[in-house]
Amino acid sequence: MTAISADGHMPAPVRRWSRYKHPRSTIRFAVLIAVLAFLSWSIAFLNIDLYRIIGAFPRLWEILATRYFPPDIDYVLDDSFLHSVLRTIEMSLLGGFFGVVLAIPLAWMAARNITISRRIAYPLGRFAIMGSRSIHETIWTILFVTVLGFGMLAGTLALTVFCVGFAGKLFADELEAIDMGPVEALRSVGASNLQVFQYAVLPQIRVAFTGIAIYTWDVAFRAATVVGFFGGGGMGWYLKRTTQQLENTRVAAILLTIIVLVLLAELASGWLRHRIAKMR
Amino acid sequence: MRHERNFAEGREENGLPAERERPVPVLEVRNLKVSYSASGPQILKGIDFAVDGDDFCAVIGPSGAGKSTLIRCVNRLVEASDGDIILFGQDVRKLNGGELRRMRRRIGMIFQEFNLVNRMSVMDNVLSGRLGYTGAFRSLFKVFPREDIERALELLERVGLQDHVDKRADELSGGQRQRVGIARALMQKPEILLLDEPTSALDPKISRDVMRLIKELAREFRVPVLCNIHDVQLALETCNRIIGLQDGYKKFDGPAEGMRKQDLDEIYAMEVL
Amino acid sequence: MVAAVGLQGAPYLSYVERKRRRRVNNWVIAACIAVVLGWCIWDTVMVDTDWARMGGALGIIGTLERFFWIDWGLVPSLIVPALETMMMATLGTLLGCVFSLPVAWFGAYNVTPNRYIFYPLGRFLMVLSRSIHEIIWALLFVGAVGLGALPGILAVAMRSVGFISKITAEAIENIDPKPVEAIRAVGGNQFQVMYYGILPQILPVVIGTIIFEWDINIRRSAIMGLVGAGGLGLIFFRQMAMFNYGGVTLVVLAVLVLIAIGEVISHYARKAVI
Repeated sequence: MTAISADGHMPAPVRRWSRYKHPRSTIRFAVLIAVLAFLSWSIAFLNIDLYRIIGAFPRLWEILATRYFPPDIDYVLDDSFLHSVLRTIEMSLLGGFFGVVLAIPLAWMAARNITISRRIAYPLGRFAIMGSRSIHETIWTILFVTVLGFGMLAGTLALTVFCVGFAGKLFADELEAIDMGPVEALRSVGASNLQVFQYAVLPQIRVAFTGIAIYTWDVAFRAATVVGFFGGGGMGWYLKRTTQQLENTRVAAILLTIIVLVLLAELASGWLRHRIAKMR
Repeated sequence: MRHERNFAEGREENGLPAERERPVPVLEVRNLKVSYSASGPQILKGIDFAVDGDDFCAVIGPSGAGKSTLIRCVNRLVEASDGDIILFGQDVRKLNGGELRRMRRRIGMIFQEFNLVNRMSVMDNVLSGRLGYTGAFRSLFKVFPREDIERALELLERVGLQDHVDKRADELSGGQRQRVGIARALMQKPEILLLDEPTSALDPKISRDVMRLIKELAREFRVPVLCNIHDVQLALETCNRIIGLQDGYKKFDGPAEGMRKQDLDEIYAMEVL
Repeated sequence: MVAAVGLQGAPYLSYVERKRRRRVNNWVIAACIAVVLGWCIWDTVMVDTDWARMGGALGIIGTLERFFWIDWGLVPSLIVPALETMMMATLGTLLGCVFSLPVAWFGAYNVTPNRYIFYPLGRFLMVLSRSIHEIIWALLFVGAVGLGALPGILAVAMRSVGFISKITAEAIENIDPKPVEAIRAVGGNQFQVMYYGILPQILPVVIGTIIFEWDINIRRSAIMGLVGAGGLGLIFFRQMAMFNYGGVTLVVLAVLVLIAIGEVISHYARKAVI
């Protein structure tokens, strides 16, 4: 196998190559085994079998077709329901607005590059944002309802907290990606932290922030349709009532309304973000 | 000799007689016409030429003359509208899916922008040259036969990249990437090499090195070359035959030594700097 | 003074005019926003809230205080549901990936089998999946397959399809055609072109997205139990029903722990993939 070189003395180099590179390949292999092991354990532990999964969709279709169809449109054309829809939109606007407004200073604190104090403000900001994000909006709703009672105050506050977390993370990521040049320049002129933020940071991120704000409202609206289910006011309450009383055709009507509204909101927010991106 | 063996092996793998008895010429193009759409402009308006077994043939001309299109018609990356392309005695335009793939694996191609898979290692990029000979199962698990791996290592050494075997393709410089492309093309044990502006993305010194390397290897492995090149000086230095295109027509076809200034002026007459 | 220096020329005036106009514009926009918000607040919070029944500030503080008496004794009974939640998130994300493949294929403009039927269908399915809240998906599946972890897994899966397939479709639409051309030129078949040409380009983005979605799915799985679909949500529901607020806080802490674990794993996993 070894070739002899021209002068006949030393053997030419033996060519060997293997795809398996220690330790990288070993680690990858170990991780793959660990993930597969966890998946197998999960399937066994939770008693999942493939037939039930495959069978779920035909059954879902069957249920939708027989019990949920035709949807009771008259129910949703009712005045008080429509008013609750309006209120859901209002809640989402409030939650979105105040959430975004609160998120901006928090994001400023949570951005590693421009935070006012790396030891205090940064962990605080990060913690606040992560804390709001980690707790699902429905849990926030239930907590606020427990403390403040049923109604839209609880719902709106829950949405606000949710938006603070959602927008805060996106804002912080955006802030960490800015060009530090103008920031440096203004700091060297002796501007205060707030001035640096207003003159060096804000102009860079204005467009992105507006896009994020609109996106946040869009997501907040989807959450708002459901907070009523847990006592937070809005159309979700009707959903809860009809599911509890097994009025399936009405449930279908409400679900259809939700889907249509969310689609409209998505279209509106997409169009708005498109326009703003083009304007700047 | 090793190189004779490679060539013979290449032909054997494709079920052809191993002797050096090639139909002369290797590539024959007759009345080639190409337009990208039925009503669009004609890119090539009836090209005839032939490439022999020991040619290093350059196609030159101003931009838009159809050089790149011509090269790509040979392995049908671009579909011709009319004409005959006879390669190894077969009309390329009449091949169906499987036959076309088998034909393509006999054609080595080197691209202007290297066309490597950036996230894959140099070794995997070179090995991918053998995909035409690798079955589905082996492709899925990236298991290539021992001789392919040895040949890949040999070729990488030959192009000077033996120390970069496991690096990701995007970690290399332009010249290095093109050399990976060269190794990949030669992995196929090709019976013809197509070059589509192989040096346009490289700086002048590296360009010369790369062209010299290709010419050396082509001669070593006895492979004819059809090359699309825009640097006329480089073409005259490297190639033995020149085909000049202008606006879809062939304006010159002859040995490199026979090219005079008037011919060049005629080919590039319409090019405005 | 200013006149002597010539600053009263046309450019200066128009600049001042533009600034003034912009300032007025901004005030108008701000006023509109204030009006809209004011009305929103009035129609929702003011009208609806029964301030008296809330019990005033003291009542609220009293309720809040009860949340701080954490019921540590519950910890052993949280382990299995916590595990269930993680498993639901993982299996749900996996199932979501499986469903995302065809949807992404349909919704990618350059590889979709038919631009007039399958492409709009793919895009519609993506939007539909993201528009329906996971609670609603959970309600539907609980109705179809009953209580337990399975409807939770299915709900998480269906909710994830939208995002994963959207990113995958965008990645497919943005591929560099050059490596694809090279593999075709070498004589590769359809599968080899896809596996060697397309897949390596989209894999880092797609896997990064899957890991990101898995992280989000942990918080979604945690609430599936609120409607009977398994995991920590069920414990939360029970503790609320028993008014054991200390237990509720413990469950929330458990969820935070799970999410922290998820963040750590996803941070390292995403770094390894890039």
